[in-house]
Amino acid sequence: MNYRLLPWLLLQALMIAGCATTDSQIAGSGSQVEIRQIQTREYDTLNKAMTLRSVIATLQDLSFVIDKADATLGTVTATRYDRYVMRMTVTVREKDGERIAVRANARINEDAVTDPKTYQDFFVALDKAMFLTLNKVD
Amino acid sequence: MLALLGACLATGCATSKYPEDALRLTESPLDIRSMQTRTYEVSSEAVILAASVGVLQDMEFNIDEVERPLGVLTASKVIDADSGGEMFGLFILEVLGGTGAMQTASDEERVSLTLVVLPSLARDDEYTARITLQRTVFDQLHRVKLMATIAEPEIYQEMFAKLSKSVFLEENQ
Repeated sequence: MNYRLLPWLLLQALMIAGCATTDSQIAGSGSQVEIRQIQTREYDTLNKAMTLRSVIATLQDLSFVIDKADATLGTVTATRYDRYVMRMTVTVREKDGERIAVRANARINEDAVTDPKTYQDFFVALDKAMFLTLNKVD
Repeated sequence: MLALLGACLATGCATSKYPEDALRLTESPLDIRSMQTRTYEVSSEAVILAASVGVLQDMEFNIDEVERPLGVLTASKVIDADSGGEMFGLFILEVLGGTGAMQTASDEERVSLTLVVLPSLARDDEYTARITLQRTVFDQLHRVKLMATIAEPEIYQEMFAKLSKSVFLEENQ
């Protein structure tokens, strides 16, 4: 064996081992319960249709273009092209007939957004949009 | 050697950080909406929807998605982004030794649009139309050169003027 090649073989092996994490990213990482907590808020002010209207308005307030929306399922997917590509999916569903659960998940380029503050900012924007909807402001 | 290994691993696997304010409103929603929204008085929802589809076709967009219960219409088009001035400037740069400068010239631009048409919350028999626009510019090698929200008020004004005309034509057909 040519021992001069050993450091380079070691380097290659480490780089491959160090970066072989794509499989674990496919199904996501982190605690499911924790992720749901930071991505979800519950409301009892507007019905599902008006909440969906507010979600779409919020995404437009944040300069997103809507890629897909489904009123029956209550899902909206949107993209914003900025210095980065940000893609969001927001779901709206009725819980026990009275409360509405809104869940948002976001990705920026190839990263999942996991920072709770980013989701807080989204829900602050949604609160404002829901206030405007509730007060019949277009 | 160890330092090199560390550097390689760090750069190869570092998680890129995203901006903290990615979902923070930078201005009041009412200010944003005033540019992006117009209200139209029409005889029926069918008229405003037909007028909206018609105006997108007038502006040579292709419609990608429609979700009628939510009033969402998504459309896009690719336009030529070549600019004579830019090409000339980059040609001079290349002549002066800037190898490959011409390839960084803008080639085409993809415009994505969402038009949301819904009954007005404030007034009966009126409908609101709200437009959001984004652009992605590609260079001659089809690399992304620019991604941005289109925020020029005059573009929105022109689109709403065309929608007004489309509503008029639809009502008077």
